[in-house]
Amino acid sequence: MKILKEYKYDFTEIIHGYNNRSLKINLSDMKIESKQISEEMKQKFVGGKGFGLRYLWDAVTPETKWNSPENEIVISSGPVGGITQYPGSGKSIVVTLTPLNDTPMDSNVGGHFGPLLKFSGWDALELQGKADKEVIVYIDGNEGIIKIMESNIETIDSHILSEELTEMFAKDETDKRNYSIVSTGSAARYSNVAMLNFTFYDVKRKKVRLKQAGRGGIGRVFNDKGIKALVIKYEGVKSDLNNPANISKINRAGIRFHKEMNRYDDEQNGMRKIGTANIVEVMNDYDLLPTHNFKFGSHKDIAKIESKVFIEKYITQNIYDGCWHGCSMSCAKAADDFKIKTGPYAGHKVIVDGPEYENAAALGSNIGVFCPETILELNFYCDTYGIDTISFGTMVAFAMECYENKVFTKEDTGLDLSFGNIDSALELIHQIADGRGFGKIVGMGIKFMKKYFIENFDADPKFMFDIGMEQKGLEFSEYMPKESLAQQGGYGLTNKGPQHDEAWLIFMDMVNNQIPTFEDKAEALHYFPMFRTWFGLVGLCKLPWNDVTPHSNKYSKEPAKMPEHVQNYVDIYNGVTGKNVKIDDMIEESERVYNFQRIFNIRMGYGKRTNDKIPYRSMGPVTIEEYLSREDRYDKQLKEIVGYNLTNKSTEEKMAVLREYRESQYEKLTDAVYKRRGWSKDGVPTIEKLKELGMDLPELVDIVSRHL
Amino acid sequence: MFYLNNREEEFQEKLTVTKLIELKKYTYKKKIVKINDEFINPDEYSTTFIEDGDDVKILHLLAGG
Amino acid sequence: MKILQFNESLCIGCHNCEETCSKVYFKTEDISKARLRITEKVDDFNRFKGCNQCGDCIDVCPEGAIYRMKNGAVTVDKKICVGCMMCVAFCSDFHYHDDYVEPYKCLSCGACSRSCPTGALTMKVEG
Repeated sequence: MKILKEYKYDFTEIIHGYNNRSLKINLSDMKIESKQISEEMKQKFVGGKGFGLRYLWDAVTPETKWNSPENEIVISSGPVGGITQYPGSGKSIVVTLTPLNDTPMDSNVGGHFGPLLKFSGWDALELQGKADKEVIVYIDGNEGIIKIMESNIETIDSHILSEELTEMFAKDETDKRNYSIVSTGSAARYSNVAMLNFTFYDVKRKKVRLKQAGRGGIGRVFNDKGIKALVIKYEGVKSDLNNPANISKINRAGIRFHKEMNRYDDEQNGMRKIGTANIVEVMNDYDLLPTHNFKFGSHKDIAKIESKVFIEKYITQNIYDGCWHGCSMSCAKAADDFKIKTGPYAGHKVIVDGPEYENAAALGSNIGVFCPETILELNFYCDTYGIDTISFGTMVAFAMECYENKVFTKEDTGLDLSFGNIDSALELIHQIADGRGFGKIVGMGIKFMKKYFIENFDADPKFMFDIGMEQKGLEFSEYMPKESLAQQGGYGLTNKGPQHDEAWLIFMDMVNNQIPTFEDKAEALHYFPMFRTWFGLVGLCKLPWNDVTPHSNKYSKEPAKMPEHVQNYVDIYNGVTGKNVKIDDMIEESERVYNFQRIFNIRMGYGKRTNDKIPYRSMGPVTIEEYLSREDRYDKQLKEIVGYNLTNKSTEEKMAVLREYRESQYEKLTDAVYKRRGWSKDGVPTIEKLKELGMDLPELVDIVSRHL
Repeated sequence: MFYLNNREEEFQEKLTVTKLIELKKYTYKKKIVKINDEFINPDEYSTTFIEDGDDVKILHLLAGG
Repeated sequence: MKILQFNESLCIGCHNCEETCSKVYFKTEDISKARLRITEKVDDFNRFKGCNQCGDCIDVCPEGAIYRMKNGAVTVDKKICVGCMMCVAFCSDFHYHDDYVEPYKCLSCGACSRSCPTGALTMKVEG
């Protein structure tokens, strides 16, 4: 391939998790530069998502759109990222302005790219500008060379592209483990929900594996910048490359955790057998599994897609599936030699990375598909086309409900989009990837579809907004929040939109009843989003925190917080960085970045109270069908909680009263949460709060002053 | 009447912890059971009866997802 | 294949074996770096932890760094090992020390048995 630009750099030692510099590549003028990272930057933004948001803020203006040249894609792991002793330590966060609504998006991803970037000498990578011709950016972290090359590769889809690039760059089989590729797929040319695949080389299977920065359309920005792929090489990963301040703390925490996995995983979650999909049937039992566009929380055919089916028939067992070194939780499961039936790869035997819980729900129950092979095929095509599985499921579910309500017909779209129509679901995914037919519309996301259906099919706007499961442009992830007010807040009162990575409070709230008052819920909606934000600052995965439970937990005062594991995090963080922080300090580190992101949203025209509203489908029954399906539950609540006399009342009357009640509950919750977070009634961080956090930076004060 | 996670439940004769978990479809494995603040071990679920007026807690240990 | 045998009734808890092992592999007489463990007990026989080279650990290593050598003993390839410690958590016959990235284990070399003054440790040919 023709080399368009070459850049050589020297190495500096990583000190306590930081190189103290980042790499910026502008693809418009091919400028490559090294930027120093100041102590203040580390103190206020830590790393990972913090660095990503800071760099993005500096790169854009309030007028910047997702496809403006100045928009950036920033990839950063974090100070702890790359240790090998503690599970889940290889994460990166990718930040960009999303095509869904031109606001900051962050998406976390496994695979080896982030840690290898750090070991190659860079705490973050900023990609700005747009290349004239499609390029491959290659970083050789052992030689200290960066090359921008004109791509001569025709392959588009990730599963082949990443394999081709690994073959092309690696010297031999042994060398393959030293590479990680970032790419997207066909859908990135047209779809707002296109994602990025990050690879790791699976040394046991001898195959390239894919992990996804799934949420928020980052793949579309990547494609728009003219990037075919990023390729990184670093040979020599070891547990001490971060030059940790105290490796003993990290070793001890890691071994303790590995032992816990050995001892408890089989009897608890079975993460090593089936990963997060272990909860498919659990969610169904608790009426939380999104079914038919979140109308219902369970389905009679659940047995066809429960985790046992995947374990017994499809997912390879007893093989290491960690997406970074040393992950004894090992949840990146895969179906090997799975035969594809449709589309361009029909007849191919492929490896399918998944299904994770989200995929089983999004590509299964939510679109009415109770066929494991269809779920796996959709999962495969989502990955290789570069489509976010969660958005795909929630978008198609929305389109299907619209179809069933005759918003449009088969004549309009050429497809019978009844729930559970497997052929149509598969046809749609191929259409999205090719930007043709009705798939082109669906691939733009629910926010776009709502407008399109109102304008072109005369759809009832109110109905569209009630059932379109998106907020801030992002499609809801796959948990049914109707019966948990706290989780409605966990979805709605978020920075990037309705993704459960900030808070998952359904059991604490709905089942355990541990947070009954608004203040209790607000406290949970402060603590958990902050605690979970922290994972994305330092380079860690959230799953090992609570997908296995240590023995000590049942004696703890606050079992939901998993205190023993929190202590592990304190230990490994201090062990790497040499800091002496406690959990409260970690929460404060998150609060700084969290408030920064909130203000960033406001700067871009989103992020106030009006943007925190959620569709009624996430709060209660929109249709008579839904009400009647859970009539006893709703009647009981109206009678006992609302104090409403049900005698001689029609279903419509009861629904109206229930809706008024639930919507008012959400407003009260919003008030309580804003207060707890130190925000105004309109959801704007106060100057007092910024001062308390040491975040009263002039550019932040300037924005909030205009909105307070 | 007894309390389950601070909500009133109708008292039934011969209701064991096992039976209550079945009735409630509490199939998630990682949970702890306390009756009047005392831990009940899983191997005692089938022999422990819930008495009238008991304060039963069945806490699901999941704040993840 | 030779495997280390322990006769508890003969052990006097002198720790010569551990010192020798540490000396052979790490050039220091630091028993915290030995590849076997003798734990002294007051009212009971001393306890011994040493590897029987069963090889169950080979599949546990995610990197494929653990393998059986020609002499039958199981070992860690330091070049491939990244120091994840999963082997240490899996089997108590793996040892680690904060001075080293890679865990290590008994290689059935017999140096410890030769240093044992009472004959409590011997090498026995098996298999």
